[in-house]
Amino acid sequence: MRAPAHFAHRSIAAAAGITALTLLLAGCTPAAQQNTEPTAGGTLVYASGDAEPTCLDPHVGGNYPQALIATQYLESLVSKDADGQIIPWLATAWEPAEDGLSWKFQLRDDVTFTDGTPFNAEAVQANVEHLLDPATTSSTGYLALGKVASTDIVDEHTIRFNLSTPDSALLDSLSMPWVAIQSPTALARGMDVNCESPVGTGPFIVTDWKRQDSITLVRNDDYNSPPADAEHDGPAYLDEIVWRFIPDSASRFAALQSGQVDVIDNAQPSDIAAAEGQGITDLDAPRPGASNRIELNSGKAPFDDIRVREAFIRAADVNDGIEALFFGTADRSFSVLSSVETLGLSAEEHFGIDPDAANALLDEAGWTERDGDGYRVKNGQRLSVDFPVSTNQSIPAEQSLFEQIQAAVKQVGFEVRLKPMDLSSWYSTLIGNDYNLVSAPYTKVGPDVLRILYHSDSITPAPSGYFANLAQLNDPEVDALLTEASQVTDADERAALYAEVQELILSGFYALPLYDQQNHFLVGGNVSGLRAMPTVSTPTFYDAWLAR
Amino acid sequence: MRIGRWVLTRALGGIFVLWAVATLIFFAMRAIPGDPAEAILGGPGSQASDEAITQVRSEYGLDRPLYEQYLLSLGRLATGDLGTSYALKADVAGLVGELFLSTLILTVLSLLVAWAFALALALWATRGGRIGRMIGSGMEIIAAAVPHFWLASIFIVIFSTALGWLPPISTPGPLGLVLPVLTLAIPLAGFLGQVMRESLTDALESPFVLSARARGESETGVRWRHAIRHAALPAISLSGWAFGSLISGAVVVETVFARPGLGRSLLNAVLIRDVPMVTGVALISALAFVLVTIATDAIDRVADPRLRSA
Repeated sequence: MRAPAHFAHRSIAAAAGITALTLLLAGCTPAAQQNTEPTAGGTLVYASGDAEPTCLDPHVGGNYPQALIATQYLESLVSKDADGQIIPWLATAWEPAEDGLSWKFQLRDDVTFTDGTPFNAEAVQANVEHLLDPATTSSTGYLALGKVASTDIVDEHTIRFNLSTPDSALLDSLSMPWVAIQSPTALARGMDVNCESPVGTGPFIVTDWKRQDSITLVRNDDYNSPPADAEHDGPAYLDEIVWRFIPDSASRFAALQSGQVDVIDNAQPSDIAAAEGQGITDLDAPRPGASNRIELNSGKAPFDDIRVREAFIRAADVNDGIEALFFGTADRSFSVLSSVETLGLSAEEHFGIDPDAANALLDEAGWTERDGDGYRVKNGQRLSVDFPVSTNQSIPAEQSLFEQIQAAVKQVGFEVRLKPMDLSSWYSTLIGNDYNLVSAPYTKVGPDVLRILYHSDSITPAPSGYFANLAQLNDPEVDALLTEASQVTDADERAALYAEVQELILSGFYALPLYDQQNHFLVGGNVSGLRAMPTVSTPTFYDAWLAR
Repeated sequence: MRIGRWVLTRALGGIFVLWAVATLIFFAMRAIPGDPAEAILGGPGSQASDEAITQVRSEYGLDRPLYEQYLLSLGRLATGDLGTSYALKADVAGLVGELFLSTLILTVLSLLVAWAFALALALWATRGGRIGRMIGSGMEIIAAAVPHFWLASIFIVIFSTALGWLPPISTPGPLGLVLPVLTLAIPLAGFLGQVMRESLTDALESPFVLSARARGESETGVRWRHAIRHAALPAISLSGWAFGSLISGAVVVETVFARPGLGRSLLNAVLIRDVPMVTGVALISALAFVLVTIATDAIDRVADPRLRSA
């Protein structure tokens, strides 16, 4: 057990040390010549810092590492463009019924899976059934289809989704890679085989998976189904993608600098800063859904008192910390939604720093005494708040930011007990309600993520024990607005409802927004045409090509 | 007869160690927070449905009493069945077998390189007089004290980023092995060097060396033919321990250099509570450790006749 603990600590020191050294030692790499005409061919090496997926079928479980790679070989019914509008992909048109209880999708009639199976309504139906089958053990995709009761095949290329209640988030949900469409023939092979070699309609095909080393993807020469916002038609330019797993961020960046790999993900702020001027570009693709924010657990003392919540937020000065620790790569957020969400409400007015006001609020709330260490005390109890931190999810810069917050709120008498821990322990701590503060990212397309994070239904634990409403916000008014927003079909009405509910959440001081969920890719100078999907911000290599 | 008894004692001891490892891991993995069912359902924080969780719990026997699970798993292990990885849904024996070779190459090479360094350092330190001894022991202490992760990071910055001589992450072929092997070998060389230098110094001052010199043996001859053998003994005994420390060092080195192997999979498996995988890796490492210890004991007996009667 010693080595992993060691390892977690090392990254902070190493990140700082390595950056300083690389800045000193790295010579000038001439910027690669930018050809404007794409050229076909070549092998691109991608290095991921995320955990190696345990199954390449994103229906199974459903996490971000799976979405990253599945974007290269699986496609969804719809996608999103850069303005946040839903655009056609495997479905060409769609229409809800008058009562909102069913949706009809017109499908492309000229697409074939890479195993030769035709893409049609039957295939879509098989995928929905696969996702809803408990044996698939789907989590993310299962939740996304939560309101889908059944599907009807209208004709060979038309399918109807029947819903239990109207779902304004259905198109957002269907755009996500966790509900991408796979070959029904391939799904029928059973989970073990399908996890190794899922089959889709995408621009690349999974051919080989060497555990802990790499996954090889080769070009699909018959490809004809890019989303409506792609740059070109026909097959991809790259011959092959080698998808490697390099867990250590310093090694990953060194491999990019040395040209051993062409693109890396999970780039650390210090590396992004160091990469400037080395011919490496930063693809900044914030994830959709929620922003990174610290939730204040209003379900128990002391944050069950709005005055204590407000005092904490008035004292927690984070702006300078974000600027310094993230080297200017992350912008401060004042919204619980990601900046890519068009319906996000940014309300800076609730987050002004004012220690005097914080002190007055705490006095008013009865936390009037101070103990020998300068912390406030009420009825013999110290004003202590527990802050479990997942070292898997919070990068070193973020952990340092939390330490700065700890120091800032100490001024007004809060004791923040930071508890770094591994992911499993962190989830257990949350399940046990042993926290007052927590930062938990949540990736999902569309504002419906608000329902998952702040509806009182989400305080009831899922069967695994986890509950997503970590602020434990329990307000019938919020519930009503969220439910209504998730069902209305009128776009303006929906936007107004989401604005109203966000105002309630922010003015109730349930969360301290920090910045978007950071998702930076560093791209070598020889790579052009790489973009992130506007859906869940995974990179797509369909338009990418290598300069030679 | 004596050899037979020695082998039997060693084999029984080894089996006891394996049982202890399996038992410790079984209960430790359940004592730490986290639900193994989640490892099966896509990792921590999975929001799997009720049906999915129930299905998995009964399929993997996680709904049975703990002692029953323990006996079942022990029974399976006794027949050589390491079970199925929760996360990878594949046979643990197959997965571990693949990775073991990679870690074995890394650790054995590191051990050899460490031995070579330590020997060179010890010979040089004992020859160089007082100053040489001071420099030598200083280098040993520094080498023994550097943590693997620090050494690995510095090597990457110097040899990959700045000089561009060696790849920062592992590649097939010998070039990709250089940095991982050096990272593991240098701290170990520090330890072994300290031990060797002391025993070499002792040996060089003992009567048999004096008589060898009196017979007119050259200084090189004295060192290579007589003293080294003595100096090497404690270091050989230490090699069993050294091999164990190399396997634990592999956790860091394989992760930093992105090299497939047992150490890296152990780290992943512990983090997601993949009990069969953790057990499999731990058992294979323990088995390797037991075999190496037996082997070093055997070599000791060959190199040192005094032990044979013991």
